[in-house]
Amino acid sequence: MSSFNSLIDGFASALTLSNLGFGLLGTFLGTLVGVLPGIGPALAIALLLPITYTVSPASALIMFAAIYYGAMYGGSTTSILLNTPGESGSVITALEGNKMARNGRAGPALATAAIGSFVAGTIATLILAFTAPTIADLAIKVGAADYVALMLVAFTTVSSLLGASQIRGFISLAVGLVLGLVGADLQSGLSRLTFGNQAAVEGIETVPVIVSIFALGEALYIASRFKELGWNIIPMKGKALMSRDDWKRSWKPWLRGTALGFPLGVIPAGGSEVPTFLSYSVEKKLSKHPEEFGHGAIEGVAGPEAANNANAAGALVPLLALGLPTSATAAVILVAFQTYQIQPGPTLFLTNGALIWTLIASLFIGNTLLLILNLPLVRVWVQLLKVPRPYLFAGIVTFAMLGAYALNTSTFDVQVAIAIGIVGFLFRRFGMPITPLILGLILGPNLELQFRRALQISAGDYGTLWASPLSKVLYTVLLIALFTPIITRVMKKVRKDAHA
Amino acid sequence: MGSLFLLGFIVFWDTARTELPAFNLTVSPKVFPFAIAFLLMGLSALLIINIVRGDGAIPEGLEAGDPIEKSDYKTFALVLASLFAFLLLIERAGFIIAASITFFGITVAFDNKKHLRAAVFGTLFITVIYFSFTHFLHVQLPAGILKGI
Repeated sequence: MSSFNSLIDGFASALTLSNLGFGLLGTFLGTLVGVLPGIGPALAIALLLPITYTVSPASALIMFAAIYYGAMYGGSTTSILLNTPGESGSVITALEGNKMARNGRAGPALATAAIGSFVAGTIATLILAFTAPTIADLAIKVGAADYVALMLVAFTTVSSLLGASQIRGFISLAVGLVLGLVGADLQSGLSRLTFGNQAAVEGIETVPVIVSIFALGEALYIASRFKELGWNIIPMKGKALMSRDDWKRSWKPWLRGTALGFPLGVIPAGGSEVPTFLSYSVEKKLSKHPEEFGHGAIEGVAGPEAANNANAAGALVPLLALGLPTSATAAVILVAFQTYQIQPGPTLFLTNGALIWTLIASLFIGNTLLLILNLPLVRVWVQLLKVPRPYLFAGIVTFAMLGAYALNTSTFDVQVAIAIGIVGFLFRRFGMPITPLILGLILGPNLELQFRRALQISAGDYGTLWASPLSKVLYTVLLIALFTPIITRVMKKVRKDAHA
Repeated sequence: MGSLFLLGFIVFWDTARTELPAFNLTVSPKVFPFAIAFLLMGLSALLIINIVRGDGAIPEGLEAGDPIEKSDYKTFALVLASLFAFLLLIERAGFIIAASITFFGITVAFDNKKHLRAAVFGTLFITVIYFSFTHFLHVQLPAGILKGI
């Protein structure tokens, strides 16, 4: 019951005129940046971070909630009309939705994606509102050693489930951990990896790193590797509306997608890739028209799109309750919190209760605003796809540089941004995933802190790390996540050899 | 890939050479860096073995069609130069000039033919950004040599 009352209070503070204005601005900016090809939600939020530097925490978080959902919404529009998924979660939408658009059914595809996202987002946010405080209550009892285990699990799953090569995932993670080391050690004041640079003692700012690894890395990569500069936009005919039959075929996939996406967001399962793929294969199995899949089946857009949104809301549960981001986007939101000196985690609901309920309420509001505003306006957004590419990249890059500089008005951050941009380029060039790096950078210092805290409590006895039942379970999960890809690979090879 | 091993080694070396502060801590601030250094060196050694065994790097595809075979370092250098221009000019010439040059440089790098249009549009766009940040969002950006205008 208390959750419910707090939520009502949250609505009351989110619905003030100025906060509503920030929400509106957030949906607008989020969709705007999300529609731009090649920009996923993580980059969209990171690029828009500078805008919130001077706004009050409540307004900024409201804006973020709106940007978060807006960017995902905009991303699906681009996937459907342009076949350019901005992130792994919309790969399926691009696959099936783009086929629908080619068959002249762009309108229903956009509508089922939008309404599905709304349905999934609303249900998932509702579950979030009632589960996150409970999990936070339980999490207060979680000790430092358990946190170490929890973070190691998150590292392992994200590094080994993303991308094609496990080693590359872990290397990406290790590079992120190195970046997190730079600066003065929090406990002893010892300068690490600063090489005498005064500005580096403060550590490496996460915002310039995230922005430049995505934006600058991408710009450098595209500059060096791609020559074709045109896009193939599929013209949209008719309105973004669904027929009776479309509704009939969509509502079940929406609900199933939500059911798959939310829990997989809560556990660190490596982002939105797994739930969207799962939802797609489930819909394909259950569909009465399996032959349409791969040629533009509406279920193949409705299910994964709902799963993607529910997954995004699910990822907020560990983020708010444990301070543990499980995807690149969640990591960026964590950074946004930290800019305001707010540390998500078990005590968040106690220390910043009002703020968090305002945030959750604004997730509902943002979601609704998106549906009301964007469905009729979809044609306006489509115009954005016509921005010439040189301008698009020039805009993104200058904005990234602005963000890096404005954070501390320091050129050191700009230097870091350029260096990281080159790292981002090399990562793309050599097929290394980027999310583990971001997670390593953000969680690395936290991991070290909890690790030392655990050992201080136990007076240096390393056995404390796996003493509690929870940590034993977590380490088992870790081993499974670590070895499953290896075992499946060996199995495949054995089977292949047996056939040959 | 050798560079990754080198990075691991640098972490190791920097950690090894720093002197510990006098007071006693349960866990030294060196434990964590050492662990990461070994992790990185170990992983890069593994990766080198894998590459030698034929598991080469797969460049990311997506979006803009298939990657061209050979890297185009002229465009790459131009983008990089634009970034450095921003770094060098931001505090000397101010945000509007620095960012406009970066913007223009990147449009040129991405093969835009209409240079004049790009320059005019870029400068206008940057000026609008500048004023919306300094006036509406109160984010301070250096005015530079255009101060007072």
